[in-house]
Amino acid sequence: MSRFKFTFAIPLAAALFLSSGCGKKDSSSPAGGGKTASQSSKNKDTYVHVTISDIDSLDPAWSYDTASHMVIENLYEFLVAYKGGSITELEPQVAEKVPSIENGLLSPDGRTYTFPIRKGIKFHKGGEVTPEDVRYSLIRFMLFDRAGGPSSLLLEPVTGLDSTRKDGKPLDAAYDKAAAAVTVEGDAVVLKLHKPFAPMLTVLASWSPIVSKEWAVAGAGWDGTKETWKAHNNPEKTAEAFYDQENGSGPFLLERWDKKTKEVVLTRFDDYWRGPAKLKRAHIKGVDEFQTRKLMLAAGDADSIYADYLQQPLLKNLPGVELIDDLPRIDMNPSIYFVFDIETKGNPNVGSGKLDGKGVPADFFADVNVRKAFAHSFDYEGFIRDVNRGKGTRAVSFIPKGLFGFNPEQAHYEYDIAKAESYFKKAHGGKLWQNGFKFTLAYNAGNQPREVIANMIKRAVESINPKFQIDTRPIQWSTYLDMSNASKLPMFIMGWAPDFPDPHNFAFPFLHSNGNYPRLQRYKNAEADKLVTAAMTETDAEKRRAMYYRLQQIAYEDVPSLYILNSVLYRTQRSWVKGYVYNPIHPDSPYSCPLYYLSKE
Amino acid sequence: MRERLREFSAETWKRLKRRPLSLVGLGLILAFTSIAVLAPILAPPEPNSRDYYLIPQDGYSPDPVRPSREHVFGTTEQQFDLYYGIVWGTRTAFKIGVAVVLVSMLLGMVVGGIGGFYGGWVDETLMRFTDIVMALPSIILAVVIVTVRGPSLGNVIVALAAVSWPTYARLIRGDVLTVKQREFVLAARALGASDRRILIRHVIPNSIYPVLVVASLDTGAIVLSAAALSFLGLGAPVGYADWGQLIAMSRNWIIGASGSPLDYWHTVAFPGGAIFLFVLGWNLLGDAFRDILDPRQK
Amino acid sequence: MAKFILKRLAMLPLVLFGVTVLLFGLFNTLSPEMRASIYVKDPRQLAALDEVIRKYGLKDPFHKQYVRWIARVAKGDLGYSETAKMPVTEAIRSFFPATIELSVLAFIPIMVIGVWLGTLSAVYRDKWIDHFSRFVAITGYSLPSFVLGLLLLMVFYGMLKLFPPGRYSLASDLIINGGNYAAYTGMVTVDSLLNGRIGVFFDALKHLILPASSLTYITMALLVRITRSSMLEELGKDYVRTARAKGLPESVVINKHARRNAWIPVITIASILFVQLLGGVLITETVFAYPGIGRWVAQAAVQLDIPGVMGVALLTSTLFVLGNLVADILYAVVDPRIRFQ
Repeated sequence: MSRFKFTFAIPLAAALFLSSGCGKKDSSSPAGGGKTASQSSKNKDTYVHVTISDIDSLDPAWSYDTASHMVIENLYEFLVAYKGGSITELEPQVAEKVPSIENGLLSPDGRTYTFPIRKGIKFHKGGEVTPEDVRYSLIRFMLFDRAGGPSSLLLEPVTGLDSTRKDGKPLDAAYDKAAAAVTVEGDAVVLKLHKPFAPMLTVLASWSPIVSKEWAVAGAGWDGTKETWKAHNNPEKTAEAFYDQENGSGPFLLERWDKKTKEVVLTRFDDYWRGPAKLKRAHIKGVDEFQTRKLMLAAGDADSIYADYLQQPLLKNLPGVELIDDLPRIDMNPSIYFVFDIETKGNPNVGSGKLDGKGVPADFFADVNVRKAFAHSFDYEGFIRDVNRGKGTRAVSFIPKGLFGFNPEQAHYEYDIAKAESYFKKAHGGKLWQNGFKFTLAYNAGNQPREVIANMIKRAVESINPKFQIDTRPIQWSTYLDMSNASKLPMFIMGWAPDFPDPHNFAFPFLHSNGNYPRLQRYKNAEADKLVTAAMTETDAEKRRAMYYRLQQIAYEDVPSLYILNSVLYRTQRSWVKGYVYNPIHPDSPYSCPLYYLSKE
Repeated sequence: MRERLREFSAETWKRLKRRPLSLVGLGLILAFTSIAVLAPILAPPEPNSRDYYLIPQDGYSPDPVRPSREHVFGTTEQQFDLYYGIVWGTRTAFKIGVAVVLVSMLLGMVVGGIGGFYGGWVDETLMRFTDIVMALPSIILAVVIVTVRGPSLGNVIVALAAVSWPTYARLIRGDVLTVKQREFVLAARALGASDRRILIRHVIPNSIYPVLVVASLDTGAIVLSAAALSFLGLGAPVGYADWGQLIAMSRNWIIGASGSPLDYWHTVAFPGGAIFLFVLGWNLLGDAFRDILDPRQK
Repeated sequence: MAKFILKRLAMLPLVLFGVTVLLFGLFNTLSPEMRASIYVKDPRQLAALDEVIRKYGLKDPFHKQYVRWIARVAKGDLGYSETAKMPVTEAIRSFFPATIELSVLAFIPIMVIGVWLGTLSAVYRDKWIDHFSRFVAITGYSLPSFVLGLLLLMVFYGMLKLFPPGRYSLASDLIINGGNYAAYTGMVTVDSLLNGRIGVFFDALKHLILPASSLTYITMALLVRITRSSMLEELGKDYVRTARAKGLPESVVINKHARRNAWIPVITIASILFVQLLGGVLITETVFAYPGIGRWVAQAAVQLDIPGVMGVALLTSTLFVLGNLVADILYAVVDPRIRFQ
């Protein structure tokens, strides 16, 4: 996708900051103990990134959060990797070549991938990467399978199983299938999928961390045999050395992870096969308070910080700081979901549970007219303008702009109260309009954009008919999870960030009846189910694109959920930082990025 | 009883008058009472408003706006009108204070009264239970209770009552133990009056009086605790007129853009001032009462 | 006396049992799905909800869960805190010294200024100085700690750029974690001196000043009031009148006679006050982003990090029982008329 090349350019806003800031010297020195900001960096070799997130675990098979993954990305290497800022073009990393049908490393049926393993890649603590290490790494990733972890991302396409367990007990078949699917053939590792899976390589680019088998076994890890894998399935977080130590082959090695001060220090790995990184050390530090992060940046103690749009005005006029703005994200956050079959038993959100003006019945949103009416009742542009400070563009489907399969011409719903009114009048045979309704629209507490969305819908809908009542209510994440899981929220607001940049990773969670959201919504469209599966295995790009176009049209006709925003973010860094390349797929992008390419002036 | 009360009131008033600060306290409470009563006139709700406690919003922009003619105290995050929130928040503060004091007093009376009156293992069990509740820092227990029950104003009241009652229980138990030994109770018992009758007709009326005074003085502290819970995000829903929440909203804005650090002073100053004056009023009054009740200072 | 102490210490397990059952019971009124929420933070993990519930045994009956927890505690394993992102024992070891440091730093001025103002108040009863000191005390008592904290930050951090939030600056951080620095106590002010790092010491102090003064101002009122009333009581007693009648100078009367006796309730209240401070730092630590027990438990409770809350509850209730015991002992020591019962 060529669209993404534009994102490397530094937008106008950042350029303005650069030109205005150089004259004055910032006298503040709160965090730096008396140092002042200057235009050349204090310490050329050391990079400091200050962020808000906590690292969960450094085990690449455990961690499923961006904070941990951004560190892991610098410690470990993967079979293949994204090229620069591209989300479609891959380059080889531990593998010598990226398999394709043309180079013969991908079988024409799309099921067998052959990865010739690069020779001479060294692990941080000794040893070289062997095909056996790669085989072990992939199988360990799949069989580790901690509850709520990322293992199924590989396990499912490779073996066809969605979990290694049934009713909490490890399945023998899991090991057998995984071991049969990943084999060593000479200097190569062969991966045989149970079914063709079009996004396989993009999955491997993020979820194929290569670990050292020898080191793993020494650190209380699995020894790779069938006899012992169950003892290492779904373990406690701190059970293995992987939790807070590493022996990867990435450009940086772990100097220390201080949980107390929320700091990770990485040191350059001088024997890295692509040549040592330009930076000698990198600190990734957690500081919850924005003001502290800002002051550290101003004093030059931080080279880049985490900052959101709410905080953007407070970053104005900082000398020597650049904001790289309008960086498009690949996500769908936030979206609004309708529940087709609301659980009305013991549910405080549905009032009387009947369409009598004092509640909503279970099938309230099953009527497409109701969903369409709501789709026309949300001021999408107003939301982007007021809440998002005009940042980002209107989403027209569940596939984000810029991703393969996105249809820029897709029909979508506009804010139109008159249309909303006519749909409300048609809904439930006119009974809805006559009796009115009442339900609770909940959002998870502390999430401001979602709170505003809820209030905007409430205001718009209530203005249509005085008998319409929507109570907006913030609830804690725990309750939110509980209620949405039980389909007790008539309508809910959540976001989606993908595991890999492929439309399948949006189509499945948004439209497939077993997907993350339809499961909660109790939404099922047989055609959509079939198409999602077919598009997943289709290797012909044009046919695949057509399928996703059709799926977007189904989403438009069915309106199972409302898509609001193709979001953007901005990066805040000292202008002495060089070599930054934006790629939305990196964990915690654009705040952090692969450190290998960075340098300081 | 009535004689004692009148005597006490007269004495109290005399002492109150002697202390200018306590009069200030009284004035503050009266002022807040009038604000609470006159809220619909001082800050008229929007015509179509279903719940008057919901603060009107002037747009959805995240940045607070300084005081202006239209918004005399300015707006806080998401354009909630501070003036409206403070005026209606006065009612919320009174509601919380009164409700918590009443509920915890009632609970304390039941537990302490029963324990003190029956003694023995009943007393022992009840008192050990109070020990356990008191062994946890009350704020931690309150936070857990509100989290578990779900954040709302009602649950803040429940949680604060749940952590406040042991003080009353102990107080009442002590009084009951003393009263129990007094002659008229012994006489009533000798005459064959039932336990319940003795408890309700004799023991409670005689020991309740100091408790009532203490309770009325607790209001300030309770409103502070409620605000602390709100500050942690465990109070009324966003946009509900509640001082603690308004202050919590100002957290992101303690420092303005560089060059003008006090840009957003109004977001903390107005709600902070309201809660301070309210609690100060109760405490000035309470301090005076405490002196009056303290036998050592006669 | 030994018997008394032993008897009181025997109460400790009972209190701890009661406290943990109470809290555990409160948490267990929530559905297993809700208690799993700390492990399922991302919509991507929604499908794994049942797996998570099974893994942590959240559907088991209450007693089974409690026994499992207590059995692990007996082995010294308090579990893993998802809010602290480390095992609970490690979290206590890292946060508790910070809280002690802050509490001690607040406690000293509370005692000194509180007693001083209280005495002045009593001696100059109903004079302007009495009104003044009581006004100072009562305004502190009426200020929400978070309002005071935010105002202090606004002025001393935002405007004057003097005292930042947090525990120490990045510069100190580099020294403390630089390798040539031994953490003896975990308290930065103490360790920095032991390591001969005077810069770190002053940096830590700089970070402590705002939260400590805010705690002092808010907590002082109680001490002012107690000192005042117990001084007044002593000053009204016969022996003071006799001393005065003998023509002793007023300063001797106050310092040698009245104050000594007036200190009895003050000292005993102090040990309880200190324990209360340890629990009362919850809001202050949160406002000043100070990484102590209080801030941690606030997060843990709100996010249903049950192992975290239980760990802190064990710690604070132990301290509470011990603090009360110390208060009782002190009371008996300073006032020989009291007998242990």
